Amino acid sequence: MIRTEKLTKVYNGKTAVDGLDLTVGEGEVFGFLGPNGAGKSTTILMLTGMIEPTGGRCLVDGIEVAKDPLAVKKIIGYLPEDVGFYGNMTGEQNLDYFARFYGMNARERKERITTLLELVHLDGVTQKAGEYSRGMKQRLGLAQALINDPKVLFLDEPTANLDPEGVREYRELVERLAGEGKTVFVSSHILSEVRAVCRTVGLLAKGRLVAQGTLGEVARALASPDGDAVRIVVETREHLPDIEDPDIIDIERNGNRAIVRAKADIRDRLAAALFTEGAHVREMRVEEPDIEDVFMAVYRR
Amino acid sequence: MALDRLFNVAKKEFSDHITSRRFVIILGLLLVISAIGMHSGIESYNTMLESYNQQLQYMQGAEFDGPAGWMPEKPSIMLIFSAMMTYMTTLGAVLALAIGFDLVSKEKETRSLKSLLSHPVYRDEIINGKALGGIAALGFAMVLALAISLAMLLVFSIIPTLEEFAAILIFGAVTLGFLLAYFAIALTMSTVSKESGNALIYTLVIFFAVSTILPTFGMMAGDVFAGDRPEPPQMAPMPTPSGRTVTATASSSGYFTSSSSQTVVRVGMEDPEWQQYEEDMKAYTERRMLINDVSNLLSPQMNYVRAAMAVTNPRIATMLSSPYSSIPEETPGLAEALGQVWMNIAALIVFPSAFFAAAYVKFMRMDIR
Repeated sequence: MIRTEKLTKVYNGKTAVDGLDLTVGEGEVFGFLGPNGAGKSTTILMLTGMIEPTGGRCLVDGIEVAKDPLAVKKIIGYLPEDVGFYGNMTGEQNLDYFARFYGMNARERKERITTLLELVHLDGVTQKAGEYSRGMKQRLGLAQALINDPKVLFLDEPTANLDPEGVREYRELVERLAGEGKTVFVSSHILSEVRAVCRTVGLLAKGRLVAQGTLGEVARALASPDGDAVRIVVETREHLPDIEDPDIIDIERNGNRAIVRAKADIRDRLAAALFTEGAHVREMRVEEPDIEDVFMAVYRR
Repeated sequence: MALDRLFNVAKKEFSDHITSRRFVIILGLLLVISAIGMHSGIESYNTMLESYNQQLQYMQGAEFDGPAGWMPEKPSIMLIFSAMMTYMTTLGAVLALAIGFDLVSKEKETRSLKSLLSHPVYRDEIINGKALGGIAALGFAMVLALAISLAMLLVFSIIPTLEEFAAILIFGAVTLGFLLAYFAIALTMSTVSKESGNALIYTLVIFFAVSTILPTFGMMAGDVFAGDRPEPPQMAPMPTPSGRTVTATASSSGYFTSSSSQTVVRVGMEDPEWQQYEEDMKAYTERRMLINDVSNLLSPQMNYVRAAMAVTNPRIATMLSSPYSSIPEETPGLAEALGQVWMNIAALIVFPSAFFAAAYVKFMRMDIR
């Protein structure tokens, strides 16, 4: 549904996005992670047809964005970071103004706007958008991103201004949209937020894609300098006997406990070897890298 | 560019303008002051009309010794609109600047521009729609001002002739052109600036530059580049009126002053030295005026005053455009008067067009991060 090929954007000689190759499948809820200034918003601006790439190309639903931005805008919804509205108009009037660009007639607009305002709990709010709190603006932003019932939804830091209740409702909404088969592209620097709603993630740093996949895959890929090494935690009742296996890289011993670094998951062979040695296994598990630590390490690079 | 999207933007902008407190207050002030000016203008017109009627009665009732064929001229109701011209150069300009200076910068500040651009609309449709909405709002203000003026004329039982009605419409069009010049400046500055505060400052700087500094600069340039002023010969025979100079000045306060003076030259028809001096003086004055006029073409204020004067007071306008010609015995027709100020009218079209083009180019290339 979303594809970028060597996508590049240079601002005043500074590369914001550097040869980005990214693929997001249809119906996927994709988390676009990265520290501030990594190039996430710039990528979204190119994907939504708001700026033109310096190099490469991006496609949404098979349409090349730079060649036909209007066709892309008709099938996408976009919630910008720190979304803004016309302060002299009510939320309903703002939505009505935007809805007119989709050729919706008055009845369609009214029905759609009523539904969306109820969805984001802004129905019955008569004050002007200029008097809205930041949270209310964010809710209205979600409504305006959904005004055309989009196939693809781009959300840039969607929970930035929401209170806990708003965050919960937002998560429910994303789940519901995913259930409807929509593709949701969530850009955020908050890992917990992405973890809560996204099935796949891409990690961007300094304009480059560092890793892509499920959170576990990305975390493992980035976990340690030895790349694919598997860390197996072993604890026995007795003192841990010597273990030999061609896939073992090294063993960190600590009494009857050890961390075995191996080239592959050798737990079956390890269990058999310990059994042969007469050791009683209390614990044996693959140690998953701490996702927060892994991402923080990338953020600090 | 699709017209429905363009009109969607324009409609919203127009609605924003005419419902904004800023627009309503300035327009209200302009209309009230114009109405007061119109009222005093109508009183002057009625006095002149009374005098004209008395002259007619005198000529019909008694033998007249004046020049053969001389007839008093009926005053034109367009003189009443001179007052409106004065207020338009100040409050009208302020109105135009006020609705334009934050048109784009405010959208950048509130980030509504980013939201708008995320929907299916091209950038050129947005900037053109904004310009169209502003033009429509100023047109609305102009129509309102003219409607009130016409209503006042009718209240005082003054019915314009067909030609006068056409002149009123042309006056409205010229005034709208003037307002658009300042609106275009404000829109451009709003597009160039990131903040509305800066946009306002830049707009005011340009406003004062083109309305006050430029005409002064034009006069100074005329003095510098027209060469040395010819010196009259030492010996002077009997005076003979031979030349007349007319000067006109429009200030930023909107007051328009004109003066006409006879250059009395003591010259003998047979004295070649004096004839030479007279020719040199004429050439010198025309050079100065040319430099001044060219410089003033960049000033919407000056162009407006010249063009509006051609409509409201064609006789003075004729004297302004050719100082060495004799005072016209009959008031020139509307077409003739407008023909004399075609460059000023063209400048009133070119000036806003250039600024609109600059705003367009800048908006199309604007970084919307």
